[in-house]
Amino acid sequence: MKTASAPRASETDRPTDGARPPHRLPFWVNQRLGLLVLIVALAAVFGLLRPAFFDERLVLFPLLRDIATLTVVALAQMVVLSVGHMNLAVGRMAAFGALFAGFGYDRLGLSLPMGLVLCLLAGCAIGALTGWIIARAGVSSFVVTLAMDFALLGLVSLLYSALTENAAFTTRPDGLTELRSASLADICLGPVCGSPAVPQIAQFTLLAVIGLGFLYTRTRMGRELLLTGANPNAAELSGIPTGRRIILAHALSGLLAALAGFMAAVGTGTFRASIGEDFMLPSFLGAVLGGTLLTGGVVSVVGALLGTALVGVIRKGLDLLGVGLESLNIYLGCVLLLALSADRVRTVVSYRKVVRST
Amino acid sequence: MTQHRSVLTAAATFLVLVAASACTVKNSGDTGPAGNAPAKRGGGTAELADGSGVKIALVPGGAHPYFQPWKRAGADAKKRLGLGDVTFDETAEWDQQKQNDLLSTLAARGYNAFGIFGVSPTDINTTFADLKSQGFAVASLASCPAGGKNAADFCLSTDVELAAYKAARATIDAMGGQGRLVHLTGNNVDANTQRRIKGVKKAVQETGGKVTLLQTITDIDKDLQTAQKAVSDLIASKGPQIQGIVSTSYNPAVAAAEAVRESGSKAKVVAIDDDAKILSSVKNGSVSATVVQNPVGQADIGAWVLALLQSKQCTMKQPGVTIDSGSFVVTKKNVADYDDARKAKTAQLKKKFADEYLSCG
Repeated sequence: MKTASAPRASETDRPTDGARPPHRLPFWVNQRLGLLVLIVALAAVFGLLRPAFFDERLVLFPLLRDIATLTVVALAQMVVLSVGHMNLAVGRMAAFGALFAGFGYDRLGLSLPMGLVLCLLAGCAIGALTGWIIARAGVSSFVVTLAMDFALLGLVSLLYSALTENAAFTTRPDGLTELRSASLADICLGPVCGSPAVPQIAQFTLLAVIGLGFLYTRTRMGRELLLTGANPNAAELSGIPTGRRIILAHALSGLLAALAGFMAAVGTGTFRASIGEDFMLPSFLGAVLGGTLLTGGVVSVVGALLGTALVGVIRKGLDLLGVGLESLNIYLGCVLLLALSADRVRTVVSYRKVVRST
Repeated sequence: MTQHRSVLTAAATFLVLVAASACTVKNSGDTGPAGNAPAKRGGGTAELADGSGVKIALVPGGAHPYFQPWKRAGADAKKRLGLGDVTFDETAEWDQQKQNDLLSTLAARGYNAFGIFGVSPTDINTTFADLKSQGFAVASLASCPAGGKNAADFCLSTDVELAAYKAARATIDAMGGQGRLVHLTGNNVDANTQRRIKGVKKAVQETGGKVTLLQTITDIDKDLQTAQKAVSDLIASKGPQIQGIVSTSYNPAVAAAEAVRESGSKAKVVAIDDDAKILSSVKNGSVSATVVQNPVGQADIGAWVLALLQSKQCTMKQPGVTIDSGSFVVTKKNVADYDDARKAKTAQLKKKFADEYLSCG
């Protein structure tokens, strides 16, 4: 489900118009396949060293719940990367959305789904506002989202302090506790039940992956988003309303960040201001590892899932091996560095292929 | 072609959704084997008989100087009590989700009793309930869950509101009972910070207006640099108006002691904890007093009681009980021997556990 604005990186994948590309790289160069192999190999190594790695309830369930949440965070970043922007406020937007959900449950007595809808609307609105400021003022997304991050940091803290006693909404609507702990083992089709390792909360991630995959591979709007990212001037001259596409990308990013905030709140139990504090690094890490270019125009939805899964598996494996705090972060830092280097190498390879083919 | 594919994808998505809604959902009301069982009354002893099957994990919210004594106290307890293992893991990085993951990983590694400082006081009861439902003994150490309810077996912690109250009282005494006071503290959106603010406000209110709270500065405990900047700004803008500074967090306390000494301000500073820097400031007089807590007692007693609970030798008479591990005002006068008072408190707490809180046999 990797999509590129033609022709820049279309050599590595099927182009969006369905025609076969003139130069296909061999299948083993496919980055997502590489990631998948790496994840499976690492899981096997960790499993051999510590058989407890395959403990469904104590290891795999929390691991998959984390991956589910952080994949949505990575997708929130990926959407703005697709238009060549970035969202430094991804974590605060998650906190902002979660604040509305918590407020809805605590003060308005909303049901679980209605609170989620309110959360998504709030995230979408703040994202759209950010996109509008960027499109309207022409200021770099880096500056605007950084400013938005500070503004939301203050606003969210202020609202929690004003509205709650313990800086958190602790009211839990019916179904929240079940959503947190339920796995596919609780869902049965006749006599066959699912695996206890797969959390039900992953349904949101699945929907987000399917939705974004559809947007980028099947719709004109998705392709316009990618073209806006690949070359805004060319897109504008081609008749694409780039301003509106930028607002759309940021609105979607806000919506996905809010969804991640909701999932994180469900995961720990309450809606609080510190939700999303650590989202920024994983958002870039997951997206970039998965093959999304920082410069825009190329995204990979499945790649974001795989990139996030790789980081999750490494962290969980190191935890199981009892690696200390310092070494843990060194290993994670190395992964980030390698990811960014690989991104650069891929860009160069893509560029050379284009030059050779023209 | 593209339209045909779109229709196919839409149909597939629809089918997935229909299948999801057609599935039956099991009732997940079961709470597991180890709920809050009523405590038994027994005449047994609280001397641990066999702790070899107990593996204890002491898990702080993240790296912080406060928790370093836990490492030593845990290792000592392992040796003294003959426990299967005691580990100290500070990789939660102040993130509740990471701490939850870490706890489940430790459980998978075979640890079966947990002494936890929860990152988020409003969320930690969910984590405790999860661990309890899997049959593990759980202690909330150094911080209790917010909201007055505790899902762990017990909570052994500094009463932060009381400690902040004591610190504010000590500052007011040092100020001569009148003047303007500033409160420096940590993360505003943390339930413990809210408790500290309440404690300081209570002490100020008791003066009947003689002492006023000029400002409460929050969110400056991230690191020493942030605290230093905030304190130097405060001294520069309002220095002459301030007669007292009470800090209920570590970094602002160190920064306030330095700033007052360097600026020659007459403000009296009361700090928290017994870090070497703060103790030397108490000795040289730049800090009037410090309120120290009892981390060694928390880890020591925590490990012992967890071993008794997990080996099924004892049960809590009142599951979820909250116990103050003590806080002590240290001034120039008692800076040399305050640790004796702390050890005495620990011994007293052990006796109280054996006599009042535990039911053994």
